Amino acid sequence: MIRVTLLEARVPGFALQAASFTVPAGGVAVVTGPTGAGKTTLLETIAGVRPLIGGTITLGERDVTRLPPEARGVGLVYQAAWLFPHLPVRGNIAYGARSDAVVRELLKVLDLDPLIGKPVETLSGGERQLVAIARALARQPRTLLLDEPFAAMDSALRDSIRSTVLAWAIAHDVTTMLVTHDVTEAALANGVQLRVEKGVVTVTH
Amino acid sequence: MSAALPRVLLRAVTTLCASLLVLALVLPVGTLVTTAGPMGVLGALAEREVQQSLLITIAGATIATLLAVAGGTPLAYVLARSTFRGRALVEALLELPLVIPHPVIGMALLLAMGRNSALGTALAPVGLSIVNSPLGIVVAMLVVSAPLYILGAREAIARVDARLESVARTLGDDRWTAVRRVTLPMARNGLVNSATAMWARATSEFGAIVLVAYHPRVASVLAYDRYVTYGLPAALPVAAALVCVALAVLALVRMARRAERA
Repeated sequence: MIRVTLLEARVPGFALQAASFTVPAGGVAVVTGPTGAGKTTLLETIAGVRPLIGGTITLGERDVTRLPPEARGVGLVYQAAWLFPHLPVRGNIAYGARSDAVVRELLKVLDLDPLIGKPVETLSGGERQLVAIARALARQPRTLLLDEPFAAMDSALRDSIRSTVLAWAIAHDVTTMLVTHDVTEAALANGVQLRVEKGVVTVTH
Repeated sequence: MSAALPRVLLRAVTTLCASLLVLALVLPVGTLVTTAGPMGVLGALAEREVQQSLLITIAGATIATLLAVAGGTPLAYVLARSTFRGRALVEALLELPLVIPHPVIGMALLLAMGRNSALGTALAPVGLSIVNSPLGIVVAMLVVSAPLYILGAREAIARVDARLESVARTLGDDRWTAVRRVTLPMARNGLVNSATAMWARATSEFGAIVLVAYHPRVASVLAYDRYVTYGLPAALPVAAALVCVALAVLALVRMARRAERA
């Protein structure tokens, strides 16, 4: 479960204003809104990598408001992937992995074996996003925050990977927030749809 | 043709300027070494006093560089990642030793840490003094050249996007571990280059050292001492030996880094 209450955060020239919503345990919330509206700030604040100035965040049954990112059990995937360029693909995926078994499983499930020894700078945009998703899942987070993680993939791969990732999340009881501009993905929300505009978060469904 | 002519002219002028610059950089040092000659350099390197002064110079510069890396890297990280009130002042203070004459730094060190200063008085009972001591050499080298490392390291760390650290933290790293596993390896080339530049600057330091620690003589002070006591011919081999040793060390560092990248 993700419960956000009166969450406020500020970045230069922009403020996230008193956001409140709940995503049920194991559910998928879809976050939509125009570019620069505050969607990434919202995810970063929940992940703890951006400080908040007010409100509370509860993940599962824990109040994580004052906890550092590493103690929140959150996986965060950016649109730009942000792979570690000094590590090969396997090094990226295994970076925070709970076990080698989960790395092997993800390599198989996401069909990443062909990429395994490659330097990350040789990967396409879609491949980079795929590796970033695997890296986040290998940590076995209880909460998954996805910031347009499929945007650079071609449509066939996007459909396949989206299904695989969401099936993984459901199978592992992971609560997910998915930022998207894709109307197909927007329809995936099972209970919660959030709209972010000019820093104001509205629960639309 | 009318469009091609200015381009040809521009290229010619640029080439001429670059050539003159290279000549200005290489000619004096090249003349110094060739005038001393291989036998002069080898003869100087065989002298015990020269050996000791080179050893003190290299050891002092190395210790100063290690101290700057140990203390300057966290400082560079803070300057690269944080915004705080007074940051511009801190950066200006760090750059100050680069723009003021080094004898002035020597005077400042004597005032702040010399025998008659509060710090000098406090250190005296434990046998520590910066005046005419290896400690003074290290301190002078550190003060004049550490800004080169800190400012270079700041730029190297700033080039590593902070979001990579954020991702590492969501993957279980605390702040320090994220810096150690992600930021420092990615900034490594810049950090090594900055440390090398600092070391090179420290080995060539004269102005501050000559005021703080004339003895034991570092190579630059020894060359100066022989010049004022015996004249240019006596100073030449020592000066040329210093150039050759510094060149050899810098070449070794670059070769090691090239081999590492291959």
